[in-house]
Amino acid sequence: MRIYNRLIIYLALAFSVVNSVLAFAGQRDVQVYFILDLMAYLIITLLYVYLNPRARGALTAVNAVFFTGFGVIVVLKIINIIKP
Amino acid sequence: MSNPYRILGLVLCLAGAVLTPLFYFLVGSQPLTAVSISSIMLGFTSLAISNARPYISPEACQMLLATGTENIAALLEELGLRNRAVYLPSSMQNGFMRAIIPFVEGDIPFDSQHKLPRRLIVRYGKNSDSVAIAVTTPGNVCVKMLDTIPGPTASDIESALTYILTGMLDIADSISMKETGSNIEVEVRGVKMHEDNAWYYQCIGSPVASIAAAITSEALGKPVQIKEENSSKADKRERIVLEVKD
Repeated sequence: MRIYNRLIIYLALAFSVVNSVLAFAGQRDVQVYFILDLMAYLIITLLYVYLNPRARGALTAVNAVFFTGFGVIVVLKIINIIKP
Repeated sequence: MSNPYRILGLVLCLAGAVLTPLFYFLVGSQPLTAVSISSIMLGFTSLAISNARPYISPEACQMLLATGTENIAALLEELGLRNRAVYLPSSMQNGFMRAIIPFVEGDIPFDSQHKLPRRLIVRYGKNSDSVAIAVTTPGNVCVKMLDTIPGPTASDIESALTYILTGMLDIADSISMKETGSNIEVEVRGVKMHEDNAWYYQCIGSPVASIAAAITSEALGKPVQIKEENSSKADKRERIVLEVKD
């Protein structure tokens, strides 16, 4: 199996497991789903260090976009906490 | 547009973008919203991976490889050469990398002071019979794909080999390396490339062995010869023994 197919399959499996576990646990906050999915995504993509440099570069850009989303969620949460 | 990763990426991104607001605002289901967000993430990953596909088709690459292989095989057959190639580091050849196939079998000492000229027939030692033909092999081309030349330790060479064989070329699943005296034993699992031109591969070694020998030679800065090569098509394994020459 090609290394790229394996990466997509592992990501799909990780997302399925995370979403199923949280759904069965009764989680109602979509931000928690996103943050845990993002963590699984970052861990799996970081493990694929031997990817082609072109794919690696594009994945780094995608990681940065998702991480920005994570940053926005954290900032919104902080604003909610410190808001009088 | 024939790139399957790009098609998959676009389909997943579009489906995710349409379903996310639908599930969140109309259905009001957080788990389903999360699934559609995951679909967008998977879609972007697939789009990123689509960059790794070569611009030219594998068939065109195979045609170019077969042309080069058959030309060198014809030359070797015409000269009646069956000796195993010695992979030389770029430091012994004025910066470029090639392997030499000696005309005479046996251990002939290399003249480390003498840099090999960029010619087909070269003299590599002080003896009168130390003449060989110098050819560019798949391994020599692969060394240029490395960002930095690996260090001389077995783990550094193993990492460089994994990067080339698994990440760049995707022709093997995993590589392990063991150093025993002047020999280096390389075990490659999940090999997807098998040789068919017996004469050529007897001299140069299989593509995987050639890559292993060229990277090891460049990392150690010493000539390297493929001493032994056993492959099992059933197990998809290849065991290569490299001999480091002084």
